[in-house]
Amino acid sequence: MRAGPSQDEIRRLNLGALLRYVHLRGPTSRAELTANLGLNRSTIGALTADLVATGLVREDLPRGHGRAGRPSLVVRPEPHAYVFAFSIEADRVTAARVGLGGVVLDRREALRPRGEVPPAEVVAPLADAVRTMQTSVPPGARYVGSGAAVSAMVRREDGLVRLAPHVGWVDEPLGEALAKVLGPERPVTIRNGADLRALAEHSRGAAVGCDNVVYLHGDAGIGGGIIAGGRPVTGHGGYGGEVGHMVVNPGGKLCGCGARGCWETEVGEVALLRAAGRDGYGRDVVSAVVDAAARGDAVAQNAIREVGDWLGFGVANLVNIFNPEMVIFGGGLREVYLAAAAQVRSRLNRNGLHACREHVRLRTPVLGDDAALLGAAEVAFEPLLDDPLDAAPHFS
Amino acid sequence: MTATPLLEVRGINKSFGPVQVLRDVDFAIYPGEVTALVGDNGAGKSTLVKCIGGIHPIDSGEYHFEGTPVSVHSPRDASGLGVEIVYQDLALCDNLDIVQNMFLGRERRNGLVLDEVTMEQLATETLAGLSVRTVKSVRQLVASLSGGQRQTVAIAKAVLWNSKVVILDEPTAALGVAQTAQVLELVRRLADTGHAVVLISHNMNDVFAVSDRIAALYLGRMAAQVKASDVTYAQIVELITAGRSGDLGLTPAVADITNGAQS
Repeated sequence: MRAGPSQDEIRRLNLGALLRYVHLRGPTSRAELTANLGLNRSTIGALTADLVATGLVREDLPRGHGRAGRPSLVVRPEPHAYVFAFSIEADRVTAARVGLGGVVLDRREALRPRGEVPPAEVVAPLADAVRTMQTSVPPGARYVGSGAAVSAMVRREDGLVRLAPHVGWVDEPLGEALAKVLGPERPVTIRNGADLRALAEHSRGAAVGCDNVVYLHGDAGIGGGIIAGGRPVTGHGGYGGEVGHMVVNPGGKLCGCGARGCWETEVGEVALLRAAGRDGYGRDVVSAVVDAAARGDAVAQNAIREVGDWLGFGVANLVNIFNPEMVIFGGGLREVYLAAAAQVRSRLNRNGLHACREHVRLRTPVLGDDAALLGAAEVAFEPLLDDPLDAAPHFS
Repeated sequence: MTATPLLEVRGINKSFGPVQVLRDVDFAIYPGEVTALVGDNGAGKSTLVKCIGGIHPIDSGEYHFEGTPVSVHSPRDASGLGVEIVYQDLALCDNLDIVQNMFLGRERRNGLVLDEVTMEQLATETLAGLSVRTVKSVRQLVASLSGGQRQTVAIAKAVLWNSKVVILDEPTAALGVAQTAQVLELVRRLADTGHAVVLISHNMNDVFAVSDRIAALYLGRMAAQVKASDVTYAQIVELITAGRSGDLGLTPAVADITNGAQS
């Protein structure tokens, strides 16, 4: 039988808890930390001193202190500790340098036409972006690790992309390729894009404080990120949450995955554009349809209503299964939801079970297009937040 | 969701001369929620809101704020309670910048001079608190802002004064799609930060996109006030056009009388 945790282990846990708190909530006074972390004042003082010594946080006096008495010092995360975050989507790749506290310090984006593309052509612009960003890293800044969000099914252990239908990848070792670019010293974590967006909105966006969240992301397909009981639901191998491939219409259209009538064939971008009788792809074309509908184009209005109704069907299924507090519509679905909310809500109210749906809030993302990057940064910071001292020696 | 309303009016009647505009209207607004107020043209939406805002005195009925009966005789009384109304025309001055507009008539002073630093800081904080990222500088003239940005400034102005109830009259009318989306998200955030929000709108998508409750007025009577999670689009349209939908709304007799009184 194992003895209780040692003093050192407890200290590391507490350091992690404190660092995580200021990383997620931003600058916090010592008094507030004492109240919210459930530790006593002198412990907070000692922990903060340790973290200041590693250079992960700094302390200063609060601005505009108007009350009597000695002001409580404010603990701030130090964005000198940084990660690289990547987002690989159907028509663009984005790279960013993100500092502790979730600040995007530098950001590069490369657009490319949609369609199948060899992985090397995706990794190359990311490698370029990393090299350019590295030149502007201030001296004393510390690299912690990297994270990547990709619209694909990704094996959790090693970042092997099992299937990315919109770029045509099957079993591509993306994790290995990115590790070559970034060096083997620090880990590169690769996850599904929708899962990471859900994580980002949960930690610092629309769903802060909500422990049961369904995040739906629309670009070429429909991705889903599910958080249940405060934890991401990713399944046994990390492939769960593929809500776009719920079959909602067995007699429907053929999907890229090979099945017929998947949800994304009814609510995805392609479905909307088909119903509206338009060509092209991308967020701009979706916006154009929404705009035409708002201006009274009957064909566009019908297309939006039809897609909104199908969107409501799927959401009702998910609400019945997961009983979430919040459903977030991101990417192209944000506009579709806002333009077809009457249909989505009505369908949900008709098909969702009363007890499951009564408290569900339908929302749009707060973090916008940065969500994938911030989610990727979050997983890259994870080892540091779990054990600040273990990661710290690499620093000074 | 909270069970006790922040502001509640009961049995309100209001006539303009021989025309009775509101009949026995009950209406409740809850903190942290968006309550949509819908109804056909002339149903009494604006009159009800103006009664709540103290612009029109009510003929009879009760006005409760935070559970206690209050009497509101002027807009000053209403803003004293923390009730702010953003009208369709926004009432902003084009020749002033964002800070000046937000503090118009209620400027902060530091001795004899205006305390520009504090005002600018408060304006910036208010906009940041609402996650507004579309406004680049708070020293921009309002004349240079787009329709959506103006709406944003008008809403931020209402929030600046620690208001508890914010009433928005058709905030998305005459806006483009992208700006409508931004304003809707702002309306939602307003409620999520604890305000009680009333949204007057003719657009059912806007109503369903952000509302927690929907109150439908029909020819001066409150047909129904329901949770958005319990109704469908079709039911709301019926409430607006016929005053009832299945079990919801006015009883047939009342609906007919109401109809008769009008024709």
